[in-house]
Amino acid sequence: MNHFTRLALACASGLALSACSSLGTGEYGYSSYALVRVRQVNVGDGSLTVTPPRPYNRHRAFLWSDVRDVEDWTLNGPYLDGISFVSGLKGGAYLIRQSKRADQQVPKFRSDMTPPEIVAMLESLYRVKGGAVEFRTLSLQPRPFLGTNGFQLDYEHLDGDELWRKGRAVGAVIDGKLYLILFDAARSHYYGTILPDFESIVASAQLRR
Amino acid sequence: MRKWGLALALAAAVPMSACVQTRQFADVQFTPPQGDYKLLVLRPDVSVGSLTTGGMVEPRADWTEQARTNIITALQTQQGGRGGKLHILERRSQLTGVSEQEVADFERLFYAVGQSIVIHKYLGDYLPTKRGKGLEYTLGEDAVRLGQRTGYDYALFLHAEDSVASGGRVALGVLGLAGCIVGFCAPNIGGAAQLDYAGLVDLKTGEVVWFNVVSASSQVPGIAFGDLRSPQGAAQMVDRLLNRMKPGDAIRRARVKS
Amino acid sequence: MCTRCFEVSRRSLLIGGGAAAAALTTGIAEARVLPRDMVPLVGPGYKPTDKDEQGIWQLMDRAEEEISGSNLLINDPKLTGYLKDLIGKVGGPAAKDFRIYLAHIPDFNAMMFPTGFAVVFSGLLLRMRNEAQLAGVIAHESGHFLRRHMIRSWRDERRKTDIFAIAAMAAGVGGAAGGVYLGDYVQLAQLGTILSLFSYSRAMEAEADAMGVRLLAENGYQPLEMATVWEQLIGEETASARYRRKRRRRGSLFDTHPSPDSRLADLRISAAEVTEAGKAYDNGRERYLAEIASIRPMMLDDQVKLNDPGASQYLIETLARDGWNGLLRYYEGEVWRLRNRHGDDARAALSYAAAVAYPDAPADAWRWHGISLMKAGRSAEAKSAFGRYLTMKPDASDAAWVRQVIG
Repeated sequence: MNHFTRLALACASGLALSACSSLGTGEYGYSSYALVRVRQVNVGDGSLTVTPPRPYNRHRAFLWSDVRDVEDWTLNGPYLDGISFVSGLKGGAYLIRQSKRADQQVPKFRSDMTPPEIVAMLESLYRVKGGAVEFRTLSLQPRPFLGTNGFQLDYEHLDGDELWRKGRAVGAVIDGKLYLILFDAARSHYYGTILPDFESIVASAQLRR
Repeated sequence: MRKWGLALALAAAVPMSACVQTRQFADVQFTPPQGDYKLLVLRPDVSVGSLTTGGMVEPRADWTEQARTNIITALQTQQGGRGGKLHILERRSQLTGVSEQEVADFERLFYAVGQSIVIHKYLGDYLPTKRGKGLEYTLGEDAVRLGQRTGYDYALFLHAEDSVASGGRVALGVLGLAGCIVGFCAPNIGGAAQLDYAGLVDLKTGEVVWFNVVSASSQVPGIAFGDLRSPQGAAQMVDRLLNRMKPGDAIRRARVKS
Repeated sequence: MCTRCFEVSRRSLLIGGGAAAAALTTGIAEARVLPRDMVPLVGPGYKPTDKDEQGIWQLMDRAEEEISGSNLLINDPKLTGYLKDLIGKVGGPAAKDFRIYLAHIPDFNAMMFPTGFAVVFSGLLLRMRNEAQLAGVIAHESGHFLRRHMIRSWRDERRKTDIFAIAAMAAGVGGAAGGVYLGDYVQLAQLGTILSLFSYSRAMEAEADAMGVRLLAENGYQPLEMATVWEQLIGEETASARYRRKRRRRGSLFDTHPSPDSRLADLRISAAEVTEAGKAYDNGRERYLAEIASIRPMMLDDQVKLNDPGASQYLIETLARDGWNGLLRYYEGEVWRLRNRHGDDARAALSYAAAVAYPDAPADAWRWHGISLMKAGRSAEAKSAFGRYLTMKPDASDAAWVRQVIG
């Protein structure tokens, strides 16, 4: 979810520069990131709220390329770390927008998916969209989430830039809709350092009725 | 995204007129290394090619070898002038105490960090939490471990890329923006283009304490603009890249006050 | 926009890479290249003297350095030893000393470089049904450098692009990136991107085909298998496109190999030509299957998880021509499960049930079989299936979840 937006922004950024001004417009003007302050915020389509333990950067959604129920945050940039929220993804919906005619596709979410099937959907997301050449499920275990029986997935993946990344996802299917918080970061240094933030965010997560 | 994407995205920033731009970012507390320090320069990624009229860069082994030699000499002179001890790593296997795989992993992490720095500091897609804070990026514990095992104080990553117009080239029109939509950002190449960046990692903390991008271009074909093939050109590039290392904000403010 | 950029590393390998890339052509049929005319133009110990060729060799050397340190390699010495022997046989005069790198990438590709190394993708090993087919692909690739196509195509390309800058850059998405800043060694070293340097004309492809067929026959392999590889590839592309209700993808194998029919026809004739009456030709099927048995589950996994049902189904059915087993039935089930269309869960359930009847069914088949039974309300049988799964894989990554379900 965060991977494929990174290139879009890299190319878009190239367009923003004017001739022979200082390299880069510096840190003012329009950025595709907005500040998330340290207080309770709604994420995704608003049905989920969380409280971050420190300020975060929220990737602004592009209306035409992002799914409303999915929101991405980062501390250091999507190449290094990211926390993604899936709030109330309905059955029959996809995690990302893709062409129906693409040869390789991320499967859609179904309301009767068991945790192993959700894991498989995430794995396909990484392989098809994220360019991962290896994906390892480290563990899948039950974990209470949002007041119901959910699951926790731990995984690792090797991407096209030959960097190993590691991740943890906590989720549950409630009323046939998927709620998921997913953390993915470079395995060296970034995963371990930011994991406590993720756990704090998961602990603060609440459903808005 | 691979490094080519980075180079291309940066190159899209290179404008039509002749100009040299450099922009440095430093950690707030950064003081350029002085005195007796040991600097490890990782596999300088140098290439010089001939720019054909069609916009293809034809790799030239002889030019590249010349440029590499010049850059390495310039680096040694420049850093020697600052009083440090320099070791330039040519192959991953040359670092005693550290395996090839570890050097490779170190490089890859730096690329990911380097790309992030370029995108979020140079290309304007800033991260609000890092705004105005100098350089807040780190390579973490693995870098510190590398420093401990090899005894180096700093590690420098260097990428230098030069293309020189071959005879009879006519400046192409604006390909850049069209290219960006298609899927890659084709640079707007005039005559010669130079795209170089460097990052300095403090191996005691693992942090990237300094980063600089130099990008130069000339629209007139045939003008050797800081040509890496010549010792002077290489020295000029190294100078632009490394010599003007400015201290970080906190240090500067302290100096101003005193 | 750049969401396609990630596909550069995958699909562009098929497009711009070793198995591919012909220049724009008209529909004029060309005379068949005769295998007996194909002699190697380079021998062992060849070193270039022209500056541009030296430049390319230097890039290849640096690329090899990057590749040899890549995270993406499969370093099984038995497997790479097998590949090395094979390449030594059909790779031409110098190939006995070649280094071989096996990359864990699910696409079909193999590359040979005059500087003395070869890269083979795991996706290629998955698609080959026997040793002769693999040897054929390798022989074809080595044909390109034995006939000096690489430097010739580079020079042609350079001349053409003097006129048509945009077309040159747009020649294949991988080629686009490659064509602009070739000085970036790290970029080149990304497995396969180096191939965007070379786009071979139809004449060159024909030469490589002819040389390949000849090398196969000389080494006792059934030369007709080269044509079969093509048929399989085309079949796969067709199945993939048909499933997505498309005629063909832009930049698909079809675009880069215009009139595959004439090429197939030529291959069949050439194969017949080099076949000597009375000589025994081998396809080496048993040997091949035995050698790759250890990584076959992983390769099937990589392929199926890309969720390209048309292609995956076609591949599994092709492999099943040599006999169904638990592994193939399991992956058949996986294809349905990921395809996820109406009724696919029932189809998948049937495949899993079929898979577990074989002795070689992987442990995962039992877990999915259990989940299918669970969803069908057959909880006692589901529990037993899960139990079997945990027996086979007591420290499975999802053991905690399974145990909770069993209760």
